[in-house]
Amino acid sequence: MHPFDRATRFVLPVGALAVLLTVLTVGWFVQPDRFAKGYAPQQPIPFSHQLHAGVMKMQCLYCHSGATRSRSAGVPSAEVCMGCHRVTRTDSPAIQKLTRLYNAGQPILWKRVHTLPDHVYFDHRPHVNAGIACQTCHGQVQDMPVLTRVMGMRMGNCLGCHRDPHAALPKNSPITRGPEYCSACHR
Amino acid sequence: MKTRIPDTPEPPVVPPQHWRTLDERVETPAARRAAQDEFLPGAVDISDLPAPSELSRRGFLGILGGAAALAATVACDRKAQGTIVPYTRRPLEVIPGVANYYASATQEGRRVYSLLVKTREGRPIHITGNDEHPGFKGKTGLRVVADILRLYDPERLRGPKADGRSIAWPEADRRLVAALADAKAAGKPVLLLTGAVASPSRRALLADLKAALPTLEHLAWEPAIGDGALDGTRAVFGTDVMAVPRLEQAKVILALASDFLSGEDPEAMAAFAAQRRLSQPGQPMNRLWVLEGALSLTGSNADERIPLRPTQLAAVAFALAKDLHTRHGLALPAGVDLSAVPGGVPPGVDLPTETWNRLLADLASAGQGAVVLCGSSLSAEAHQGTHLLNAMLGSRGQELRSADPLATLTELTTAIQGMAAGRYAAAILWEVNPAYAFPAAQAWQEALAKVPCRAWIGLAEDETAAQCSFLLPEHHWLEAWNDYEDGALAVLQQPTIGALYDTRQGEDTLLALLRGLGATVPGDYHTYLKARWQRTVYPSGSLVPFERYFEVALHDGLVKDGQAPAAPAFKGTGIADAARQAFAAQADGMELFLHPGFATLDGRHAGNGWLQETPDPVTKMTWDNPLLLSVADAQRLHLHDGDEVELALAGTTLRLPVVLQPGQAAGVVSLALGYGRTTGEVATGKGVNAFPLVAAGSPAPFLRTGLQLRATGNTRTLSRTQAHHRLDGQDIVRTFSLAEYAQEATAQEKAAEPTSLYPDQRFPNHKWGMVIDLSACVGCAGCSVSCQSENNIAVVGPEQVAKGREMHWIRLDTYYEGPVDNPTVVHQPMLCQQCDDAPCENVCPVNATNHSPEGLNQMVYNRCVGTRYCANNCPYKVRRFNFLEYTADKTEPESLVYNPEVTVRPRGVMEKCTFCVQRIEDGKIRAMGEGRPLRDGEITPACVAACPAEAIVFGDLKDPDSRVSQLVKSNRGYKVLEELGTRPAITYLADLKNPALEGGRHAK
Repeated sequence: MHPFDRATRFVLPVGALAVLLTVLTVGWFVQPDRFAKGYAPQQPIPFSHQLHAGVMKMQCLYCHSGATRSRSAGVPSAEVCMGCHRVTRTDSPAIQKLTRLYNAGQPILWKRVHTLPDHVYFDHRPHVNAGIACQTCHGQVQDMPVLTRVMGMRMGNCLGCHRDPHAALPKNSPITRGPEYCSACHR
Repeated sequence: MKTRIPDTPEPPVVPPQHWRTLDERVETPAARRAAQDEFLPGAVDISDLPAPSELSRRGFLGILGGAAALAATVACDRKAQGTIVPYTRRPLEVIPGVANYYASATQEGRRVYSLLVKTREGRPIHITGNDEHPGFKGKTGLRVVADILRLYDPERLRGPKADGRSIAWPEADRRLVAALADAKAAGKPVLLLTGAVASPSRRALLADLKAALPTLEHLAWEPAIGDGALDGTRAVFGTDVMAVPRLEQAKVILALASDFLSGEDPEAMAAFAAQRRLSQPGQPMNRLWVLEGALSLTGSNADERIPLRPTQLAAVAFALAKDLHTRHGLALPAGVDLSAVPGGVPPGVDLPTETWNRLLADLASAGQGAVVLCGSSLSAEAHQGTHLLNAMLGSRGQELRSADPLATLTELTTAIQGMAAGRYAAAILWEVNPAYAFPAAQAWQEALAKVPCRAWIGLAEDETAAQCSFLLPEHHWLEAWNDYEDGALAVLQQPTIGALYDTRQGEDTLLALLRGLGATVPGDYHTYLKARWQRTVYPSGSLVPFERYFEVALHDGLVKDGQAPAAPAFKGTGIADAARQAFAAQADGMELFLHPGFATLDGRHAGNGWLQETPDPVTKMTWDNPLLLSVADAQRLHLHDGDEVELALAGTTLRLPVVLQPGQAAGVVSLALGYGRTTGEVATGKGVNAFPLVAAGSPAPFLRTGLQLRATGNTRTLSRTQAHHRLDGQDIVRTFSLAEYAQEATAQEKAAEPTSLYPDQRFPNHKWGMVIDLSACVGCAGCSVSCQSENNIAVVGPEQVAKGREMHWIRLDTYYEGPVDNPTVVHQPMLCQQCDDAPCENVCPVNATNHSPEGLNQMVYNRCVGTRYCANNCPYKVRRFNFLEYTADKTEPESLVYNPEVTVRPRGVMEKCTFCVQRIEDGKIRAMGEGRPLRDGEITPACVAACPAEAIVFGDLKDPDSRVSQLVKSNRGYKVLEELGTRPAITYLADLKNPALEGGRHAK
């Protein structure tokens, strides 16, 4: 066989396949959403959003009160938990742990579930104040016994909504688009 | 703008009307090339990169394989995203992510600054002036803004020490009290040396200490305030007086080597600039006369500047007084006898009679609206003459405030002689560094060694601490309580962060000593201060409870505390003697003018990288204090910029580089104090210590004659930015005299905007724009320091600056015009012009820089790959490239000063001014949350907020009623390099000069 024939019939297709397989494998391994979605780490205290936000219908902003006033929605201080748990479910070992930490003045080291790269300056305020439900990005938190990440939170997610926010906004909202320029989020 | 298509033959070289360097003035080929190149030749030289490692090919492949395997393993599991650590008990006022502002204050020398401190999650990150202060109106001195860096200085002493070993506070107190009690029992004096006292509570505490320890001798010493100022005012008023400029009504200001616009007095700068912001010809404008030897920032803003020898200025002051009396009929104050003073220009003073007469007429006609200001480096006689002139004019241009006495070098020398003679049992040195700043440092060290008990109170171990047995580290002022007197205001300083280390505020140390000596005092200084406020400041019979009153005072940072004490009366006795001495002092040969360093003051800020790297507003020198000399002298001595000389004066020799300074008087060399420290990683080896040249005991310790200069033949590389970033074009700065302005305003012939091939940018909501008034701008670089603090701008060090790699987003370009010996000067703040047709945007291969629909030229760091094409194409040369890794090694505590709203840029990334987009976005989001439109002036970039002269105005050009939209239409408005068609968003307003003789000066 002519070497040229061999190259076109075997070496080239096999080589191309190898390259393709490598790209796909590596790509699959490193795709950011692969592990972002479905991330549900075990927390130091097995706090259930399903119980608090779902069954007891507590408002998100009751604990995450920063969302309307600050860039970060914030994780409540142990003091907020203790507001109820001084008297509620004090027999539970988790609450006893919470009380112990609180009395010792030690912080609770929650595992971060939702995160953005350092060069993204996301701001909760305009989103919450525009009437966008927390569930739009954070999923049906009120149904989650263990908090689980449901959105990849990549720039595509942001821009998709910023270009067509109707689904996320309340019906009579005057807002038609979110900002799409760089320095709205990167600075 | 490196590559151009040569469509026309190269035009003949025409030297520019406005030049920055002597090379540009005659347009040398090198200067031409510098204009065409974006970077200095050294900036892109990579020879200083870290050497490639000695890794073999095999080793490299091994590591590569291992890393790939590791990466694959890691990629197989979820990556932990870190932890969230919420408060256990959240302080009520702290919302994570929201900045809190606290009113506080500090002092520098005798000056008191009322401030607003921005904190995030409990740590201070930015300082501005207190907007409740009637004079500061939200502005402050640039050194105060930068002083936040000292809070996070990693070299701060972190706990008390005795004889080099760490000890506990009670132990330190016990041993120190024992030493003081022994001294008291033996009746031996104890020396307490501090900086200026401006705090009434501290004064009360010192009085208490004096009562408990009668042998205490307290001296307050400020090395940067010359003895001439102290002796001169004492001779005239019989007491210590501080002259505070009040220029709101001043029509004619005569500055005798006074640098009142140097950036440390925001009130004077605001009042001065307020009368130079003309919107129409014919509006009133003040006139600044400056008589000085070295070109100061004030001199660079002068309408009429006359270079003179500083030693002659005392005679000039008295001759002016004589002529104002004899020729303009101004009455002499009682007891003043000027009969021995000859009228007219004093002999030997190089001043045309015609100019002299104009100055006299100007002062006389302004009367109460005229004011004479005297620099603290000048002699006591010059200060006496100045006070005499102001008294004759009845000037309302300055406020005389009685101040706490400061020790002169003579008084300090007496104390040192006492120390050497073994008179003192103990010495407590608080926030002073005499081992560095006392002229005869050797004598100081020998004398201090004879004091048995030596205690030092300060922030970071300095030259003085090295000799002390007790080191008692102090809180930074951002961690401490205090109060100050500022005229009729009582100003409060409150801590904005808990103590970072095991330190204690100096006053608390004194309280501990008082307690040890048996006095009954409150447990801490906070309680002490509050008790004093309740006794003396709190109005008796007030319906408001004291706690509430104090809270409101803390919130505002100040209260009006009655009336300022009446000004002391002028005493004429001694004037005749002073005048005689002023005329007797005739110097020939070279003379040396020493002045406080712009960045370092008296050396206390020498460890501050922000200040060290801010180019001196006049010389544009960073990290060093070169010897400045006139071009004429340099030619005579065959010296060039950077040549090393040996300066010999009365037994002291210094080796230092020279800089040829246009405007410097012939025969005068000048040198900044505060450099050449020998402790501290940042401060050490930067410049030379000029304090040994100060003449203790002389009426003008900062003025020296009889020096010898000798070229050593060496040349130094100067970290000087004057020649960096030259713009290539015409008409970059515009400056008019008032007469020219009148013509220009009526002509109203605006050049047509160049047509563009690109479609117009569209701005649906906002179009951010800026107006910079060159007439108001004094060039103090306050904007630059504030920008550095707000935008996490890296400090790169002197070697990098010398290569042209400084990172400042806003710089001050200084242009000269006219003769080299006395040019007129314009300062032009230059920052990203946010062009609508930005040349940088078109060339970025990765679209990392592009235009926002609000008119901002955005820079996206995470997209930038560092091709530097954008910078290469920027005609304004405002893009800054991270040539090396300047930030990655920063750890706590240094990293705590970063603004969390701005990315810290790594190596290989381009950056530039963003108009403080983080503030813009925050302002918009706030307004949206409150359901209202943005208010004009609500969003202020850091430079705008900091500018004491209010020379920069920022706003929305889409809003026709905004201030910036109004100012853009000004008849002084123009855009820099407009002819390139970049359509900048920044409009400059032409500089105005108000020379006493109209016309002909600025032939255009």
